[in-house]
Amino acid sequence: MTLMRRHRWYAAMLGVLCTPVTLGGMVTVNVTAHSGAAADTVIVFDPLDAAPPAGRDAVSIDQINQRFVPRVSVVRTGTVITFPNSDRIRHQVYSFSPAKIFTLKLYAGSPQTPVTFDHAGLVVLGCNIHDKMVAFVGVVDSPYFAKTPESGVATLNLPVGRYRLRAWHPDAVAAIPSREITVPPGPLSFSLSVDLNSAAAAVALWPE
Amino acid sequence: MALRTRIAVTFLLLLAAVLAAALGAVSATNRGNAEREVQRQLDVGASVFSRLLESNRRQLTQAAQAVAADYGFREAVATRDTDTLVSVLENSGQRIGAAMVVLTSLNGDVIAASGLRVKAGTPFPLSPAQRSSPAGDGATSLMVDNGRIYQLVSVPVRSPLPVAWIAMGFELDAKAAHELADITGLAVTLSVNSGGHWANVVSTVPAGAASQSDIVTRRIEMPKWGNAAVAAVLSRSLAEARAPFERLTQVLYLIAAASLIASALAAFWLARNITRPLQDLTQAVDQIRSGAYDVPLSVQRRDELGVLAEGLQLMQAAVQSRDQSIRRLAYEDSLTGVMNRTAFGAALGQVLNAADAPIAVAVINLGRFRRINEHLGYSVGDAVLTKMAARLAAVPSVNSAVARLAADQFAAFTRLSDAADLQAWGTSLVMALADPVFVEAQPIDITATLGLALAAEGAGSPDELMRCADLALEHARREKRVLAIYEEGLKPAARDQLSLLGELRHAVENDELRLFYQPKIELQTGRVAGAEVLLRWQHPTRGLLGPADFIAFAEQTGFIRRLTRWTLDRAIAQGALWQRAGKALALAVNISADDIGDVRLDSRVASLLTRHQLPPVLLTLELTESGFIEDPTQALRMLDAIAALGVTLSIDDFGTGYSSLSHLARMPVHEVKIDRSFVLGLESDPEFALVVRSAIDMGHGLGLKVVAEGIETEGAAARLRDFGCDIAQGYLYAKPMPLAALESWLEGRERVRVIAVPVDFKTEDLVDTVSLAIY
Repeated sequence: MTLMRRHRWYAAMLGVLCTPVTLGGMVTVNVTAHSGAAADTVIVFDPLDAAPPAGRDAVSIDQINQRFVPRVSVVRTGTVITFPNSDRIRHQVYSFSPAKIFTLKLYAGSPQTPVTFDHAGLVVLGCNIHDKMVAFVGVVDSPYFAKTPESGVATLNLPVGRYRLRAWHPDAVAAIPSREITVPPGPLSFSLSVDLNSAAAAVALWPE
Repeated sequence: MALRTRIAVTFLLLLAAVLAAALGAVSATNRGNAEREVQRQLDVGASVFSRLLESNRRQLTQAAQAVAADYGFREAVATRDTDTLVSVLENSGQRIGAAMVVLTSLNGDVIAASGLRVKAGTPFPLSPAQRSSPAGDGATSLMVDNGRIYQLVSVPVRSPLPVAWIAMGFELDAKAAHELADITGLAVTLSVNSGGHWANVVSTVPAGAASQSDIVTRRIEMPKWGNAAVAAVLSRSLAEARAPFERLTQVLYLIAAASLIASALAAFWLARNITRPLQDLTQAVDQIRSGAYDVPLSVQRRDELGVLAEGLQLMQAAVQSRDQSIRRLAYEDSLTGVMNRTAFGAALGQVLNAADAPIAVAVINLGRFRRINEHLGYSVGDAVLTKMAARLAAVPSVNSAVARLAADQFAAFTRLSDAADLQAWGTSLVMALADPVFVEAQPIDITATLGLALAAEGAGSPDELMRCADLALEHARREKRVLAIYEEGLKPAARDQLSLLGELRHAVENDELRLFYQPKIELQTGRVAGAEVLLRWQHPTRGLLGPADFIAFAEQTGFIRRLTRWTLDRAIAQGALWQRAGKALALAVNISADDIGDVRLDSRVASLLTRHQLPPVLLTLELTESGFIEDPTQALRMLDAIAALGVTLSIDDFGTGYSSLSHLARMPVHEVKIDRSFVLGLESDPEFALVVRSAIDMGHGLGLKVVAEGIETEGAAARLRDFGCDIAQGYLYAKPMPLAALESWLEGRERVRVIAVPVDFKTEDLVDTVSLAIY
């Protein structure tokens, strides 16, 4: 329940953030997999005609029941992420991803230090003492991004213009090809299909 | 087969059969055992090998996982700090003695390596399983590199997603193979197939041993990695596996052979131990059988054979003693110790066969001997006989022998240097016996009578010679001489040829016997008083034979009883015939001493008289004095019984015997018959006349009728008539004649009238009637 609520909350936040800047229409992306809706699909629109506006956010990734929550996050470059620990046990947080290498020493309770993700790229987070704890943070320069909810349908308000659409899913068997999208003044809706396998040995490459 | 061999062979065959069965069973079991054992070993070996691989895998997995989990290592991987990585890999490899540790990227490119010469960036052959399943931690596989085989385990390095692989491996080298071989007892060979060709990389099989044909193998194909397939071959030489069993079998064969040999020796020894004494005993028994009684039977044993030997020893002694006593009984006179008749005959036969000089035989009769027994007792008689025998034996002669033939009869033979010495030898014998014998300080006079016979050189059998001596003796006695020498004239014609009993029996059955009758004349009146019945044998080839030719023989053989019965039957039948015809004639039949011994004689006579209806008064039985000698009491009883029938009894040859007058007085006889020898000398010898007269007077004195026989002259008849003799018989009146001649002779002659009626005797024994009917 808590997870669902938070997802909705993030979705609302995205909508609130984008609305004042956008002059375009509503873009709806429906991501499906063989098994149905593909949640947690990261969708990024990189503007091709103009530089994206800068900005930074503050995000937190909790650790509940030896899991990172949320498992997948998308943030703008320079975003500060705090790592509260809701478990009774201690956790360690590390990343050897080139976009952000850091280590939070074993701790419990409230976060020690927020971590600034200042390079674009995919950052894989782990806990040194709990190998199964994995979280993905996609760090992007564009402010136009979304993460599909349970329904697999994400809706964004984008200014009219040309964009490069990137999509990524942690369980994707293969990289999802990028494509160019022109956002018209009116609403735009299209679909993406991904091939998912939660037991895949490797994670698909982060589309740069 | 000999007992020894049989015993030994039986035991050996039995043992061999048992051993063969046992060895066969053991061999078969061993063969099967060896094969099963090898298969089991191979099973165990395969299991041990897979355990080894599994153990290696776990060890490698743990070590690799330990490395992969190390944060510093992950950091080094993430930062691609190659030098650090190599050192970590080396360190971790050394920790468990791994031959190689390789770190590769997820797609298999080498990042860093230890113990293996690969350059960074070159592809490392990860197994397909590893590639496809990063979750399959610790999957093991085999890799061949540069002619070496490695068992590899690869685990992912996570940070936190898999970012690399750590492959850690042990080399399956000769050491490992030998360890496996030591544990399993199998030969271990690891082969690699590269390019379709299998090549042994490691092998514990000694070089040159591979050519053995009896190798059992177990091939274990292992997961393929890269382009080379690896197979482990476990092998075991069947011969080697069999070797302990073979050794066991060999030992068993050795034991079997040894026991067979030992048993053979033991069996032969045992059998020999049994059969050797048996052979000895058999030889001893053979010797004993052939008459040797001093065979040493020295089987010093305490077992059954010893008992047997002892028994044989005792038997030998017993047989010897019995043999000696039998010989004594057979060849020796038990009383006097000199030879008996049999031995004498044999000895005489030997001397006759061997001697070139003339052989003289003497038969000696001791006169009056029966009286010595009667009056002085048998012990005195025996003593006399013993002394007489000793005296005879003491007579110096050449190559001589003495024997006792009968109660008072002895015999002797000697080899004479000259036939003319016969008389001298006989005289020396007589002289030896002439002196009185002293028994219990009492002088006893013995009159010995000798019959001598001389064997012509190389002629005559012992029997013949003895018979000649007997005849001489009879002659001497008849002539009242001390000594007589046998002459040809004494030999009755054809006498010796009638020795066949069968011929005589044949004579009875074929009715060859004839009755002759010699009339008896009443001397005072000249009337016919009766007739003596005399037996003749109408022999088919020899003609008519007188009693002298066969009666003695019949008496010797016991056949006389049949002759007497026959004669009685015919005579009584004839008498009855005459009586019924009104021409009654008294008939006298001779009875021998043997007949008197027949306890049924009275009932026979009675039944014949009854059957033929002859008045008993018409029958006279004549018997000699010798009839009383054997058993006087029985003889007397028999004569009483016959006299009771009414039959007349007459003593024949009166005067020649030795019966005492007391006997004569007690005997139920009616007449005496004076012996012809006295009658013949009646006219020439006054002494004889005196004897005859005395006899007649004595007969009359006893109330007996007196008969004289052998009357040939009228003078003799006249003398007898003067003496008062009642009845005469002889050639003067008539010779013995057949029935027809008698009947014609009787014609016109006056007979003594006899008034007689037949008597029907109530005989108790009518069986004799039946037996009489037989002939």
